[in-house]
Amino acid sequence: MSRIRMLGPREQLQAVLERVQDLGLVQLVEPTETESLTPLGLTPEQERHVRGVRKIVKDVDAALELLGETPRPTRVAGELELPQAALIAGRCRRELEALAEQRQQLEEERALILKFRPFFAAFTKIGESGLDLDGIRVFYLILKEDGEEELRRMRAAFRQALGDGFELLSQPSESGESAMLLAVPSADGAKAEQLLSEAGVQALSLPDQFEEESVGGTIHRMQARLEKLPAELAAIERERKRIAGERGRDLARIQATVRDLLATIEAMEKAVVTPRAFVLEGWIPSAVRPDLDRQLGKSFGNQIEIEAVSSEEWSGDTVPVVLKNPRLFRPFEAITGMMPLPKYGTVDPTPFVAIFFPMFFGIVLGDMGYGTMLGILSLILRIRSKPDTKLRSVSEIGIACSLFAIIFGFLYGELFGDLGHRIGLHPIIFNREEAFFPFLGLAIALGIVHIVLGLLVGAVKMFRGDKRRALGKGMAALMVVLIALALMAAFDMLPERFFTPLVITALAALPILIIGEGVLAPIELVSTLGNVLSYARIMAVGTASVMMAVVANRMVGAFGPVWVGILFGLLFHLINFVLGVFSPTIHMLRLHYVEFFGKFYSPGGSQYQPFRHWSARESASAERSE
Amino acid sequence: MELEAVFLYLSAALAVGIPALATGWAQSRIGPAAAAALAEKPELTVTVVLLIAIPETLAILGFVVAVLMLMQGGG
Repeated sequence: MSRIRMLGPREQLQAVLERVQDLGLVQLVEPTETESLTPLGLTPEQERHVRGVRKIVKDVDAALELLGETPRPTRVAGELELPQAALIAGRCRRELEALAEQRQQLEEERALILKFRPFFAAFTKIGESGLDLDGIRVFYLILKEDGEEELRRMRAAFRQALGDGFELLSQPSESGESAMLLAVPSADGAKAEQLLSEAGVQALSLPDQFEEESVGGTIHRMQARLEKLPAELAAIERERKRIAGERGRDLARIQATVRDLLATIEAMEKAVVTPRAFVLEGWIPSAVRPDLDRQLGKSFGNQIEIEAVSSEEWSGDTVPVVLKNPRLFRPFEAITGMMPLPKYGTVDPTPFVAIFFPMFFGIVLGDMGYGTMLGILSLILRIRSKPDTKLRSVSEIGIACSLFAIIFGFLYGELFGDLGHRIGLHPIIFNREEAFFPFLGLAIALGIVHIVLGLLVGAVKMFRGDKRRALGKGMAALMVVLIALALMAAFDMLPERFFTPLVITALAALPILIIGEGVLAPIELVSTLGNVLSYARIMAVGTASVMMAVVANRMVGAFGPVWVGILFGLLFHLINFVLGVFSPTIHMLRLHYVEFFGKFYSPGGSQYQPFRHWSARESASAERSE
Repeated sequence: MELEAVFLYLSAALAVGIPALATGWAQSRIGPAAAAALAEKPELTVTVVLLIAIPETLAILGFVVAVLMLMQGGG
């Protein structure tokens, strides 16, 4: 990333900004030195103009959000007239807000009526009989499924308080609850309310519009209203679609134009000027700097001077970050991208992730059958996704993972678990069903390699700045290796005579580790060894996966008829496949984020956001999130 | 079955069972907090997934210990 300064005649500022926006290469920032330069102030008339533009932006953003669609902008020659745009945006916003409010009211009404639904079917007969409610107060109650006991208690309480002066009708509803109607003389209404409150039963309050003289009338009116509501909601949806059809593309065009205008205004606020000249500063990826020089040279000749700002002038500033990796590694930026971006000048872990993530995944899943299934699904996803989208990245990561799963499946001799062994496949490295120790050894060895690599990357990164800590990191890596070798010697995996020299070397390295990393370094070292042990999950999850597959295969013949066993077996394989893809993904992500990144990763970078056209930024972010 | 073998299997079962219960308990405490955090800040998804996955180390190490016990004991 380079910091550049652009200087030119003041009257060209607007044109230069427009050209820079067209190119979309520079992230503009406040200039570092402003002693002899003043910020470009706005005249009262310009301020009014800015307020107007901000108002249109607000209106058009709200309108498009209410529209719920992102139409393509209309392509109309000539410039957009702001007063016309303000009129359209304002009117559309008002119309859409009114529609949204109407829709909300109708949906609330529907939700309210639906609460009374249990009464519709349960009290149809009452509805038909048109029970006269003159001088009677009716409560609508709902009791849960197991409310028999509660009902008995309520009936007893009412009998005690009101004698025979009440009617309590209960009917089971379709949902399993009991719909109850309680009718008491109006004079006893308050007393009934109190009894209900003591019983902990809440009466549904009847909306004003449905207050009738009979229960049947109320229920009929509610039913009729419920039938009408979908049509009214559909009419609102039709109206929204009409506005979307008539004005959607205009709104999108207005949004793109006024957002660009606003961006230019905000960019202008970052410019500093003398009476005759302007100065702009910004960040640009070093690789595209010549493009900017050439394009501005072509447009403005030698009127614009572009110079590099020396690093001393911006050393304290946050430098924006853009991840740049070879094509093969690029999909894995999606995994790195789930963490906060790395700080500028630190290590981008994507290449390491691209190598280790699919490899670990393959070691865990390690089955030619499941690998092929994952490969096919990933290929379908790749065909159906658009280039440069998150979905495309996921599909390509899936393809890499499936390839490793097939390779390791071949090495383990696994095809849908032990089915491979039955058709003549033989394990080349080991049989995971039995070889727990070799598998555990492989997992721990991978952990040592991964963690030591992380520590070494951290040491190399620190070497330019803090040499003492770099030494400490390097020493920690060495200690991990020495301890691992000493343990191997202790367990007869290496000749025993190596044990004592290895332990002495490790003890000798300890003071250097403490000098490099501080007094807490031994504790940190223990935690690092714990990190290595965490890689045992590769073996644990892998073994669980193969055992599930073996169980699935043994289901054939275990449930009477063969076809039943096959059906259960296939179902179990399907479940194991889903688990076998999900579980390693989560665990391998954890191994990378917690164990590996923890050794060198420095988060805190800010995303490179060049000053460019709104439509370009929108389509880029839409593609990323897809 | 000999008594020694019974204890071996029982110990192996406890070695994986107790950490699994501990993992479940830890995740039952993390899960609701994580769901609440996600409702307010969906951008915390990765952190939440990691937080939920962290206690699984207990069960996994328990499983490894159980396997070691069974293999060493000749089970």
